[in-house]
Amino acid sequence: MVTYIIRRTLSSIPILLGITILSFIIMKAAPGDPMTLMMDPTISQADRAQFIEKYGLNDPEYVQYLKWLGNMVQGDFGTSIIRKGTPVSELILARLPNTLLLMLVSTILALIISIPFGVISAKKPYSKLDYGITFTSFIGLAIPNFWFGLILIMVFAVNLGWFPTGGVATLNSDFSIVDRIHHLLLPAFVLATADMAGLTRYTRSNMLDVLNQDYIRTARSKGFKENRVLFKHGLRNALLPVITIFGLMIPSFIGGAVVVEQIFTWPGLGKLFVDSAFQRDYPVIMAMTVISAVLVVVGNLIADILYAIVDPRIEY
Amino acid sequence: MKRRKTALMMLSVLMVLAIFLSACSGSKSSNSSEKKSAGKPQQGGDLVVGSIGAPTLFNSLYSTDESSTDIEQMIYSFLTKTDENLNVKMSLAESVKELDGGLKYDVKIKKGVKFHDGEELTADDVVFTYSIPLNKDYKGERGSNFEMLKSVEKKGDYEVLFTLKYKDPNFYNNTLDSYGILPEHILKDVPVAELEDNEFNRKNPIGSGPFKFKEWKDGQYVKLVANDDYYDGRPYLDSVTYKIIPDANAAVAQLQAGDIDFFNVPSTDYKTAESFNNVKVVTDLALSYTYIGWNEKNELFKDKKVRQALTTALDRETMVQTVLDGDGKVAYIPESPVSWNYPKDIEVPKFEYNVKKAKKMLKEAGWEDTDGDGILDKDGKKFEFTLKTNQGNKVREDIAVVVQEQLKKVGIKVTPQIVEWSALVEQTNPPNWDYDAMVLGWSLSTFPDHYDIFHSSQSEKGLNNMWYKNPEVDKLLKDAKSISDRNEYSKAYEKIYQKLAEDQPYTFLYYPNNHMAMPANLEGYVYHPKRELYQIEKWWLAQ
Repeated sequence: MVTYIIRRTLSSIPILLGITILSFIIMKAAPGDPMTLMMDPTISQADRAQFIEKYGLNDPEYVQYLKWLGNMVQGDFGTSIIRKGTPVSELILARLPNTLLLMLVSTILALIISIPFGVISAKKPYSKLDYGITFTSFIGLAIPNFWFGLILIMVFAVNLGWFPTGGVATLNSDFSIVDRIHHLLLPAFVLATADMAGLTRYTRSNMLDVLNQDYIRTARSKGFKENRVLFKHGLRNALLPVITIFGLMIPSFIGGAVVVEQIFTWPGLGKLFVDSAFQRDYPVIMAMTVISAVLVVVGNLIADILYAIVDPRIEY
Repeated sequence: MKRRKTALMMLSVLMVLAIFLSACSGSKSSNSSEKKSAGKPQQGGDLVVGSIGAPTLFNSLYSTDESSTDIEQMIYSFLTKTDENLNVKMSLAESVKELDGGLKYDVKIKKGVKFHDGEELTADDVVFTYSIPLNKDYKGERGSNFEMLKSVEKKGDYEVLFTLKYKDPNFYNNTLDSYGILPEHILKDVPVAELEDNEFNRKNPIGSGPFKFKEWKDGQYVKLVANDDYYDGRPYLDSVTYKIIPDANAAVAQLQAGDIDFFNVPSTDYKTAESFNNVKVVTDLALSYTYIGWNEKNELFKDKKVRQALTTALDRETMVQTVLDGDGKVAYIPESPVSWNYPKDIEVPKFEYNVKKAKKMLKEAGWEDTDGDGILDKDGKKFEFTLKTNQGNKVREDIAVVVQEQLKKVGIKVTPQIVEWSALVEQTNPPNWDYDAMVLGWSLSTFPDHYDIFHSSQSEKGLNNMWYKNPEVDKLLKDAKSISDRNEYSKAYEKIYQKLAEDQPYTFLYYPNNHMAMPANLEGYVYHPKRELYQIEKWWLAQ
């Protein structure tokens, strides 16, 4: 197992390098530069030229890339061009906990709701209950996040006043866990609805496959209780593909919540990423790309390791 | 064994959660006290200002965005200020005397002004601040605002002498009122080249303005508290929270829920905002205008007659009534009616909407539909073009479509094209000029100078990206640059506006409105067309 992990880690280095080169080329191919969005148009051409010079944006592209790479491998992501003097790592670290918290809670919420739903659906396929669950989960998938989020804000925050309208904590108040959770629930729920449909469907179809297997019949004929058959013999085998999906969801932890972050004024990474892309804040874009790429690789690795835990037949 | 594994996993999940929860530490500021005082105005309260934009840093020599400027206005003192009628008033300066016919300015500053750390603000600090952009190591983007400045020297503890290289009314009207005075005692050892990246700008800016910087949570809010020792009297509000809400819809919901108090509501939502409890909305003209720019590098728009005909073919009144829902005013010149420089006594050519006349004008210019396909042509070339505008501005996107409809009536084929902002800027500006026509807007300066946009010398590299050229206008614009008396300046500009309205380098579309939503009990508010939070130190909440 350990050698497997080391081998996988080493083989991911060229992949990551390739990703950074490709991202750099695509990023540079986008028209405009950091000047165009940040600048007051009355700033003179001379001042602009000086700015371009200062950030080395006049150097040949490969020089810019190599400089960036050299700093990056030493752990230095540089400073933001738009937020002058702010280290990129500081910008990202300030928002990372917020994003991870939101994504983690919403994913757990999605798993807690969708796995039992999928199992119930599979237990009585084509029943009214099955159709009901499928219908509900598709609605969750079909509703656009921004719309659903705004409706929830209107109903539960503005009209009923049960939840705050946005943010991570109440302004001008001391830290409190209850307050944090209170702020977290609506955005996490909105995010979870989108993931729930997919996860429910995956669980359902895999469960259906598994329940038709011989060993399930054997288990039943042995007189095991239905719940034991379903969850111990069935679900455990059905979860394998679900884990793959979950592993693939990990990278979206970092960039996947732009819309929800924006609607709920949640100071997370998604918003930072999109803003940076529009502003052509190159150092921030590159740092975010590297982090996402690393997460994709790590996510897949974690999924593979989880396979081994869930399925005793798999060994590395 | 297996149960233990599950329990272990659950436990680790909980622990990870706990780490995240504790990592995002809450704001530690305490509730603002609501003191009641006799008589009016009353002291106390926290005002939460909502903003779509986020600030970048708090040092006016380096910041280039409006959010940063709004906050700098609270933290720092400025030598002069531009009031709600756009006249220059003294602020930190006690007096500003023009000497040598505008080549020298003698500035006396108020005595006893203190920085937020208790140090006194003297002439040294003024000299220090204005010397930074004169330093060859200064790499900020404001250099051109100091180009006319030769030197700044101390004449006494409270007196400073500015010497200019040449006469330029921008010095008195812009350069003196736009830069917050920095504390020399804190920054004197920082090399100018490193000042831009210095933590002072982001972590602990110290000024002498009405509010003190307390905390900046990136992506969330900036907190400012009243400066008890402000030289013009303590602000009535105890604190101001500048809250960043990137989404306009969410901001309106927060306004309704009372989570923000003050917000510049988009024109699409201001009627909704007016219906909220405890919210009042002040509507007035913004200091800006929206236009269609005609690229004269394109043969289609070279002829002045054609541009005039295009304007005549456009029903701007209907655009304002339908697209803007009546929320604005038709524009005829590149100056806002709220400005002192808006001509009052003269008539400018207006080219009011008239399809028949427009067709006739186009015919006179040689454009006729000879092949009967409904599109005008001349020498075998059809009158068709693309009209670009930036993505994300709903009103402009709609305007582009309305223009397409209206010009169809005179036989011109327009294809609207919505382009992402940075891409649009790159396409339309030097050295590409890759556009036929575009719908865009200008935010105007409090001291208007249209040289940069309409002078022909600004085509090759500057903002005259429509390649407009009229030698007469060139001369008038150049001459106006050396006039410092506002009445004379306005007189000179009357001619310029008349010529521009006649030549139609742009079709001037409309002046949009601002809608400032605020608590119904907010008193002392004065609408300023440029500064949303103008004189916020004089605002107070009636209890």
